[in-house]
Amino acid sequence: MQPIDKIIFGDNQFFGINHMSQEKAQQLAETFFDISNILKTYDHAFEAGIRAVMLNSNDRAKEICDHFRSNKLNYPAINWYPSIPYPRKYANLISEKGIIPTINEVLFKGNSSMGVLGMIAKGSAAVFGKDAIKMMQMLIDVEMKIFKGLNVKVIFLQNIITDLLLGYDVKEIFIGYCNYILNKYEVLPGFITQNMPMLKAKLESWGIEEVVICSSFNKIGYLMSPDIESYVSVAKNNDSTKYQLMAMSTLASGAISATEAYAFINRQNIQSVVFGASSKKHIEETVSLIKL
Amino acid sequence: MSNKIKLAIIGIGRMGITHYSIINTHPAVIIKAVVDSSSLVTNLIHKYINTIHTYTDYNDLFENENLDAIIICTPPTLHYPIAIKAYEKEIHVFSEKPFTTKKKKAEELAELFEQKHLVNQVGYVNRFNDIFKAVKRYINKGIIGNVINFKSEMYSRTITKSEEGKTWRDSRENGGGAVFEVASHAIDLVNFLIGKPDKVTGSCMTSIFSKNVEDAVNATLLYKNGISGTLNVNWSDESFRKPTNKIEIFGSQGKILADQHGIKIFMKKKSPENNLREGWNTIYITDVFKPVPFYVRGNEFTAQLYHFIDCITGKEKRNSCTFRDAAATLEILEAIFNDYELNGKF
Repeated sequence: MQPIDKIIFGDNQFFGINHMSQEKAQQLAETFFDISNILKTYDHAFEAGIRAVMLNSNDRAKEICDHFRSNKLNYPAINWYPSIPYPRKYANLISEKGIIPTINEVLFKGNSSMGVLGMIAKGSAAVFGKDAIKMMQMLIDVEMKIFKGLNVKVIFLQNIITDLLLGYDVKEIFIGYCNYILNKYEVLPGFITQNMPMLKAKLESWGIEEVVICSSFNKIGYLMSPDIESYVSVAKNNDSTKYQLMAMSTLASGAISATEAYAFINRQNIQSVVFGASSKKHIEETVSLIKL
Repeated sequence: MSNKIKLAIIGIGRMGITHYSIINTHPAVIIKAVVDSSSLVTNLIHKYINTIHTYTDYNDLFENENLDAIIICTPPTLHYPIAIKAYEKEIHVFSEKPFTTKKKKAEELAELFEQKHLVNQVGYVNRFNDIFKAVKRYINKGIIGNVINFKSEMYSRTITKSEEGKTWRDSRENGGGAVFEVASHAIDLVNFLIGKPDKVTGSCMTSIFSKNVEDAVNATLLYKNGISGTLNVNWSDESFRKPTNKIEIFGSQGKILADQHGIKIFMKKKSPENNLREGWNTIYITDVFKPVPFYVRGNEFTAQLYHFIDCITGKEKRNSCTFRDAAATLEILEAIFNDYELNGKF
């Protein structure tokens, strides 16, 4: 399995996401409303030596991708780690319209690039309704469009979707996802999860290997189900040629100081860290503290 | 295997999808069947999980399955007839909120389920949120003295475009509208933290995008003991990324501000035994969270369903967030409808 980048720059700070404080999240959303502030922050990350970016396929990701695609020459070579989908988009649609109309809208409305497939299925999820794998493949293609032309290393399934599917315990969906990412996009499949020990055990029992698992990993056990001890022991016994582990929420949304947080992380058998920060100082400090 | 709780889920919409995932991880549970009026949804489940029986009509479920428990996630108007069937078969019930659309029916169900000692719970998930649980502990301990007044607010971006009026969400009869869907959470939180109001006044309901129901609600809540509070709810507010409850409680000795993510407490005097200083104190979710065995969408979603199962197995003795609690919340929802009809219109 190709090794992934040790330090990856995340995106939560740009999109008004902060698990600890909605007020803080709102402030960040205001700052980063202007894309030039987002790009400035990426510049700080690249200056600090980071060459890898994780980006969720939300409403704003398109303009970020567009920028980096059209200005490739102005930047160092960057590895991209998309996470798909942006689940709120679907959740809101499902609330408003129900499941079937949502599938119809996302897959078949205004999606002319589907070509023949789109014509067969015109206006009807029913055609594919019995084949979840096929639907998933189509959704992946819809979500991945914005990343076209960028150097993608791993395609992650976003955590709400991974964990929701994990609860259903359906092997075929996970195998279907991994195979499609490997065969069509020729990159590593990845899963983001808040249930790392359970996900890893399931993947092992299903014979799914060579995937990247990204999960919360922090000193206080925040967003780590079932508990921190399981995480530490699973990581310790992990064979990184089969599963590369990536830590996120390392600061537990700011509850832990960076020094303390990475002193803990550096002791774990983890291959990579994804972190988000909005100031040059914090980015540089974090990079200097991560020693995997 | 035979000792496991045999469970079915009725209604595989947004909440049904989540509940399935969570409850399926509970070691004491086996999901036997799902019911959804859409055969597309049931076929999909049956194809990948062929041990699950699927039905498009809940009557067939009760006729054909031998169940211990059900989770009801249908539109609210179906909560009552389904719960009655479950009662007749002595099946434990977890129902999504608002739990029927009529206080009288909710009270009747509470009575029936209590008589037969069946576990009964409603999905007012905030009662299982670690922050709101901490707020409750603070209030019960009298940290801010006597409660004098409060604000309970809830905002979401559920309905943000003009509605054609075709879904159950756009029909009060079916349990749609911001009062049933959103204000119910904000009121249940008041009932949970402060107690049930004795009177509702100043109710106002505003349509923004919906054709047949309200999208925003205001009301004043009064208590015989002098406490008063206001309710402010809007499910068409796009400035909120996620559904958000906010509560502000003013007391004789201080003030509490809380949402799902944190608490700010202003103390008139310090309270060292509670680790609170004079003036402002901040408590984050990271300070009070309790990890759950399996996580989807938030600790509270797992905590509430595991509580339901633990009540059935007897591991948990005190059934909380019961039908009785939900009936009390419905009483206030009805009072808002009535107050608005009587006094809110020109």
